[in-house]
Amino acid sequence: MCVTMGDISDLDRQIEQLRRCELIKENEVKALCAKAREILVEESNVQRVDSPVTVCGDIHGQFYDLKELFRVGGDVPETNYLFMGDFVDRGFYSVETFLLLLALKVILVFGLFFTLYDILSSSHFHSSFDPCLAPQVRYPDRITLIRGNHESRQITQVYGFYDECLRKYGSVTVWRYCTEIFDYLSLSAIIDGKIFCVHGGLSPSIQTLDQIRTIDRKQEVPHDGPMCDLLWSDPEDTTGWGVSPRGAGYLFGSDVVAQFNAANDIHMICRAHQLVMEGYKWHFNETVLTVWSAPNYCYRCGNVAAILELDEHLQREFIIFEAAPQETRGIPSKKPVADYFL
Amino acid sequence: MAARQPFTDSDAADEAVRTTCDDATTCKRFATSQGYWKDLHIHYFVRNVGERKAPEINRGYYARVKGVNLLLDEFIKKTECKCQIINLGAGLDTMFWRLKDENLLPQKLFEVDFPAVVAKKIHNIKTKPPLSKPIIDMHSTDSLLLDAHNLDSDRYCIVGADLRDISSLDEKLKKFHLNPELPTLLLSECVLVYMTPSQSSNLVHWAAETFHTAMFINYEQVNMSDRFGQVMIENLQRRQCTLAGVEICQSLDSQKDRFLTTGWDHADALDMMTVYSMLPQQDVARIELLEFLDERELLQQLLQHYCICWASKDKLKMLSILAKIMN
Repeated sequence: MCVTMGDISDLDRQIEQLRRCELIKENEVKALCAKAREILVEESNVQRVDSPVTVCGDIHGQFYDLKELFRVGGDVPETNYLFMGDFVDRGFYSVETFLLLLALKVILVFGLFFTLYDILSSSHFHSSFDPCLAPQVRYPDRITLIRGNHESRQITQVYGFYDECLRKYGSVTVWRYCTEIFDYLSLSAIIDGKIFCVHGGLSPSIQTLDQIRTIDRKQEVPHDGPMCDLLWSDPEDTTGWGVSPRGAGYLFGSDVVAQFNAANDIHMICRAHQLVMEGYKWHFNETVLTVWSAPNYCYRCGNVAAILELDEHLQREFIIFEAAPQETRGIPSKKPVADYFL
Repeated sequence: MAARQPFTDSDAADEAVRTTCDDATTCKRFATSQGYWKDLHIHYFVRNVGERKAPEINRGYYARVKGVNLLLDEFIKKTECKCQIINLGAGLDTMFWRLKDENLLPQKLFEVDFPAVVAKKIHNIKTKPPLSKPIIDMHSTDSLLLDAHNLDSDRYCIVGADLRDISSLDEKLKKFHLNPELPTLLLSECVLVYMTPSQSSNLVHWAAETFHTAMFINYEQVNMSDRFGQVMIENLQRRQCTLAGVEICQSLDSQKDRFLTTGWDHADALDMMTVYSMLPQQDVARIELLEFLDERELLQQLLQHYCICWASKDKLKMLSILAKIMN
């Protein structure tokens, strides 16, 4: 695949638009998704991430709260981010939220290629560049996006992303482009080989990270099986495995975690997936952590949000933040308040 | 009619409250389109199914409709339809047609709402034979009143009135042959919360004074002193909907006290999560399969902030009925 300087300046402009919460054109979404796919297809099911990195939980289309997250956590590329899925659904701006994160990821990867190429060639007049010419060089990912249970065709048709695409673009084409990209998102990440990050949790069919690496992830989230469990499971104060009230995935207990962490030589599991009123929550003697990054979830729940900052020694610091102030967010004036019983 | 006044803040607030009726009807329209419960007439009031609503909203409306109907139907059965119902702030409710179809029509159903809401409802009835025919069928004389702002027939009456003006309400209902001697069920859903505590207390006091045998069913917010409640107050305020009576929505006890201090003998209340868990579980299991709800916490949080409160005064042994219903 060829990337030109023109592509980069287009991306720059699109990012500026998306940062203002303005939509980009349908054909621009198509091109962006095509580039993103090239990057994502190379990622492992257990994507390696280096510290320092800031780990974030569910966002759910709360665009102005994502901007608030960047304000308190630092902008890209100054801060490295790992987002643990659930970018879309529920909030008013799933399209803008997901495309902004995707565009930031793409431009950082391709931007780095260009910087390197500039340095190596000392030439400013190339018109195109094939990243595959330098495959041996590994570039640090500035934004890692892994898949949440809402990055799914079926779930987005119930919880808002499908309707939002239809409403904002007049067709479901953009929803199709995005859901195709969902299939390429990695399933998990591992920070410095020690912190395992996944949207939901563990699976009774998985004992080792290598087993995750062998999953063929390029598909819609299945209704059951290891890939489904990683995106759907929750920790529960018991031992062993339990039936999940969500109807997918499992409840996993402390002994399951102890065994998994020991077998894979990891210190802790970091996950999202569950609303936590205080933004984050420890489980099982600090071996599992839930991080929730959508403040005042559904514009209704009244919770605060958190992100986890890990420095180069994996020292932890939590940043708690609230919903963006009303003045800075544009709630669509015609949107009825259907979130209550009136 | 008085000369048109400039649009004041209070007009805007009333208008905001009136639009809550459209929201409720739209949500019920969507939920029924998904099969949560049957309503054969709601599409005459809201033609389009409209945008998808979140599963917890659909389930919440289901719990409200089922919970209220259980109490209502039991009251009608217990009185063998020799009763009247007054639906306060009825909006576009389709209760009349449901009760007729199920042979549960009381001697007379009264509905009261803002004149603008009533006008809209009556316009729909006038222009849609499936709505008007059952009313005409149940009417015995030629004297059916159906003008822009009032409907009065033998079994069904719709009155435009302001519930904060008790004397005018009383006068209008009596004009349309309200019978204080009949066992009477009063119903209000998300209505009293928009009135100040003294206004709603006056209303329920009037009801206790007017009927010797009566039951009042009130559905609205509860447990509102936490963060969720605060966010709700702010969200609704942003659309100029003031929860003027939120003080009474602090707890189940404060909800009951409104009745116990205004002449009602008994009052009880359940939050909607409890009601949901007490509904016929076979049907709950059916509706839970209609749409996937992955975050049950969201349903819990919402339903813990709404309640059904019922009060009675009488010789009818209401509480035994209710105990039976709620078991």
